[in-house]
Amino acid sequence: MKKRLQSKKRRAVPVPIASMGDIAFLLIIFFMVCSEAAKDKNIDVDLPISEYVKKIKVTVVARVAVDENGEIYFDGTRVDNAKDVEWGVRALLTNTISDDQRHVQFKCDSTLPKETFEPVIKAIASAGGIIEAVGEKLQ
Amino acid sequence: MSRKRYSKEKKHRTGEIPTGSFSDIAFLLIIYFLVATTLVKVKTIAADLPSGEKASQTQSDKTPIVNLRGTEIFFNDKKVSVELLNERLAELELGEKEPEKRVIMLESTKGTPYENYFQVLAGISANQGVVAIVEEDK
Repeated sequence: MKKRLQSKKRRAVPVPIASMGDIAFLLIIFFMVCSEAAKDKNIDVDLPISEYVKKIKVTVVARVAVDENGEIYFDGTRVDNAKDVEWGVRALLTNTISDDQRHVQFKCDSTLPKETFEPVIKAIASAGGIIEAVGEKLQ
Repeated sequence: MSRKRYSKEKKHRTGEIPTGSFSDIAFLLIIYFLVATTLVKVKTIAADLPSGEKASQTQSDKTPIVNLRGTEIFFNDKKVSVELLNERLAELELGEKEPEKRVIMLESTKGTPYENYFQVLAGISANQGVVAIVEEDK
């Protein structure tokens, strides 16, 4: 009896590791599909401050930014004027069904004058986008 | 003789790709992605501006109007601070009104900085107002 118990102790339980590689690669694919690439990371913008800003919960269809020099970017690519933004947003919203698919992120430098940013806001609005204006929370 | 044996041995040799370290490579890739990724959730205000055709003087005189003159804010022609504007907008109880009666006109002069514009937009949208941008006559 004692002998049998000893033999039981020695028995090695093999952990199945053959599928570990597959699991890991599936995890990589999952992360790559789920992550959103920051296209406007290198654009210098001094954000405005407000107490009403909230963490964005919707998925934006496009990202529009106006940097400190007044240059306009549409999804990280520099465009010539607000009209290009309007066409870009309009093209993206052609097959939209619900309001949830109309959100456009708008990032603008707080020091810019009306003449620079208002045409871009109007362009997004006239293309049918809901503006998600980025700001910082008032501490 | 020796050449013959050598060639025979070579033919029978089977090559195997070492797959034992695949999981390690994959997990290292995952760690790399996790470390290199910056997860930033931006903070925004949502402003739904009507995209309809341009209208002239369609709103009645009762429609509240916010004027931005440089860094100064006027609400129905009275100078206000951002806090006071938010109070005035809250008093209007726009959330309880029909969509067409939630309109707040927004007029701004040349040179108005985006900082002020943003704060007014934030105040209007927080009080469930719909912004209508007033354009100057050309």
